[in-house]
Amino acid sequence: MGLSAGKTTAEKLAVKNGITFYRINSDKFKTSRVDLFFVDDLSKERASGNAILPLMMKRGCESYPSVKELEGKLEELYGADIDGGVTKKGERQFIGFHMSHISDRYTKGERLFDQCSDLLMCMLEKPLIENGGFKGSLFRQERDNMVDYIRSRVNDKMRFSLSRCIEEMCVDEPYAIPEDGTEEDVLLLNPQNTLRIYEEMIKTYPAYAYISGEVDDKSIQRFIDGFMTADRGNVKKLKPTNVYKDINEVRKIDEKMDISQGKLCMGFRTNVEPASDEYYPLVVYNGILGGDAHSKLFRNVREKASLAYYAQSVLEKYKGLMIIMSGIEAENRGRAEEIILEQVEAMKKGDIEKEDIEATLKALETGMKTMQDSQWAIVDFFMSQHLTESGEDFDSMIERLKAVTLDDVVSVAQKVQLDTIYFLKPDGSRHKEGAI
Amino acid sequence: MNYRTLTFENLGETIYEYDHKTGLKVFFVKKAGYNKKTAMFGTNYGSIDSVFKVQGNDKEIHVPDGIAHFLEHKLFEQEDGNMLDKFTRLGASPNAFTSFNQTVYYFSCTDLFEENFRMLLDYVQNPWLTDENVEKEKGIIGQEIRMYEDNADWRIFFNFLDCLYVNHPVKIDIAGTIDSISKINKELLYDCYNTFYTPSNMAVVTVGDFEPEAVFSIVDEMIKFKNNGKVEKKYPDEPKEINMEYKEQKLAVSMPLFNMGVKDTVSVSGFELLKRRIALGIALYHTMGRSSDLYSRLYEERLINDSFRFDVSVNKSYSYVAWGGQSPDPKKTADIISGAIKEMTDKGIGQEAFDRIKKSQEGMFIRSLNSVDNIAREIMDSYFNDTSYFDVGKAYSQIDIGYTNSVFKEVMDNQTALAVINPL
Repeated sequence: MGLSAGKTTAEKLAVKNGITFYRINSDKFKTSRVDLFFVDDLSKERASGNAILPLMMKRGCESYPSVKELEGKLEELYGADIDGGVTKKGERQFIGFHMSHISDRYTKGERLFDQCSDLLMCMLEKPLIENGGFKGSLFRQERDNMVDYIRSRVNDKMRFSLSRCIEEMCVDEPYAIPEDGTEEDVLLLNPQNTLRIYEEMIKTYPAYAYISGEVDDKSIQRFIDGFMTADRGNVKKLKPTNVYKDINEVRKIDEKMDISQGKLCMGFRTNVEPASDEYYPLVVYNGILGGDAHSKLFRNVREKASLAYYAQSVLEKYKGLMIIMSGIEAENRGRAEEIILEQVEAMKKGDIEKEDIEATLKALETGMKTMQDSQWAIVDFFMSQHLTESGEDFDSMIERLKAVTLDDVVSVAQKVQLDTIYFLKPDGSRHKEGAI
Repeated sequence: MNYRTLTFENLGETIYEYDHKTGLKVFFVKKAGYNKKTAMFGTNYGSIDSVFKVQGNDKEIHVPDGIAHFLEHKLFEQEDGNMLDKFTRLGASPNAFTSFNQTVYYFSCTDLFEENFRMLLDYVQNPWLTDENVEKEKGIIGQEIRMYEDNADWRIFFNFLDCLYVNHPVKIDIAGTIDSISKINKELLYDCYNTFYTPSNMAVVTVGDFEPEAVFSIVDEMIKFKNNGKVEKKYPDEPKEINMEYKEQKLAVSMPLFNMGVKDTVSVSGFELLKRRIALGIALYHTMGRSSDLYSRLYEERLINDSFRFDVSVNKSYSYVAWGGQSPDPKKTADIISGAIKEMTDKGIGQEAFDRIKKSQEGMFIRSLNSVDNIAREIMDSYFNDTSYFDVGKAYSQIDIGYTNSVFKEVMDNQTALAVINPL
């Protein structure tokens, strides 16, 4: 086996039936893996229907028609994992499925890839169907589960405040739609209309497949030949995501909840396209402002002012958003906002130390290199490149980041505009000493 | 340089162990082909160690809750600046965590491992505390505590431990409370540091694609600690009975959450601890894993959903088995689960299921070796439980049905506790 720290690449194996197959070259892992993505426009009409599909797949398939049988089979395959879910990248929804199993070296002679990929195929292509729809009893359970899941978004206050900020910020844009839709959209689903969405996914959504780990060529060919033999004549054309917006007035939204700590989210428009040259300075900009322990936000909000445990900024690459988040006492809200905006202003003025750029570039380089130590992260990276039709690999991406200058960062800083300030505010019913 | 090399052919892993003259234990695992390199410097001292004797003094002292975690925050601060800042300037990603029984400082990087490693070994040996910087930290940690007050999963976990434990400090929140941290000062922090940050109570773990000699010689060069002898740890006696059967709290959640389980008061360590942990894992998986009848029943009746989880925690001074998730009716769910456990302990696990689940769990263990961070954490944790992570493979081969059934029965015959978080 070759174990050199070589270049991590995604080699295009085939385009068959509108599906592109890639092989990830990296053999240090103890698992083999297949990732499949189907991509759709993010829309109110389809988000929930797409999101329920992975849940239905996990309920069984023709050969293993119950969770008990399906999970029992996965256990026999040395704890193989087959799962799925949805995410959004910009205004596109990704319905993802993956399979992974331990490499044959550790199975005492048993070969797993063919068995596991057959099982994945069965779940994807032969779901449990009756009367022109998904099996009714299972469908109703999963629909109700989805409603519960959507309602439980409120449980995680940090994520809840972040998604509320984005919903308010993008109120008239598709990006406001949560990755699994809304409760009212879920309730419009029935076994029949959802099966039609499933058929459209299988036949018309652009699809990508990534294979990684120690898999022999014969098994890969067998997988490509046997995968989705359904006719996929017309692959759907997807709409681009708009990233530009000029802000005339900052929106301010306060919502109250019975909580201890206030959650401040400040949403910015970067007006930078993910496939443009300016994307690289934007990544560096975000790192200096709020990426790491050396960042302006960490140093000023946390270390100097002692206002918060976390203060950070995150980018949504495909929609061109940047969100600054911090958890603070309600009474410190004004001071926290002021300090945060001072840091954003300092970025605009180019008030940036040489060491700050250097530290950020090093952190980004480390991040790009360590991503290659996770099979999932490698797939996510290449998926992202394929989505934006960028030809970059890990090494060339590092080079592009290293080429960013202070002037590039300052010039991107001018484009960043504050759009919405969202504050999830304690309603005052919890005492200072907190719980119970 | 004298070090041991242990190769585990079946896992495709090799571990190098070095005993430094001060009593500090050092480990290295080579991960060929990986970019990430990590080093951890940890002490077997965590939130449960709040009553102890200071070296050279016979009087027991009680320190405020949350002090181990507070010390973790403060060690990052040095006279010439913040360590977080210094690591990031070298392209490394530094962090630390405090758990019930350990405080671990670490970094990961891809380049300049040796420089970063020297920095790690240096700053953990050199605390720099002032009245002013201790006060400043109270604001930051205060916000960390407030964040956890709103975290329902965290709150229910500690409510559950409070149900199980009468005396053991594992029931106390790791970060303490706003009130307890207000009592922390420089002197108390130094008392804790001088007691627990001593080489015989500490370990260094390094993982990545480099060579063992590089690690061990830097340890020789950098460790200035004197060996202060063995740390005597005392925990209160914990009765077999639980503290209370039920505890409830209201928080802003959409549906009730429940956490249920039993305490195991049998004290084990070393290889026995691994075997016990694995046997309990297999039997619990058999009882409530996704392939079980119980899981299908609860799921189809919509008493649980995808959030359902279970966990086995076996440690030298505290052990428990726990399960839980969202449920519209925690009490009904708890009753059904208790019934299924009773049935399982009476009947025992069968050969087919035992083989299948053991195979699956062994696969999960192999899978966990993909991660540099995970290997480092597990080696540290295993060492502080007097065992070795890569012996997990051997432990699987030595476990049989008889042992699994008897351990499961012994533990599950204990009284169960239930904690619930209800929506407002």
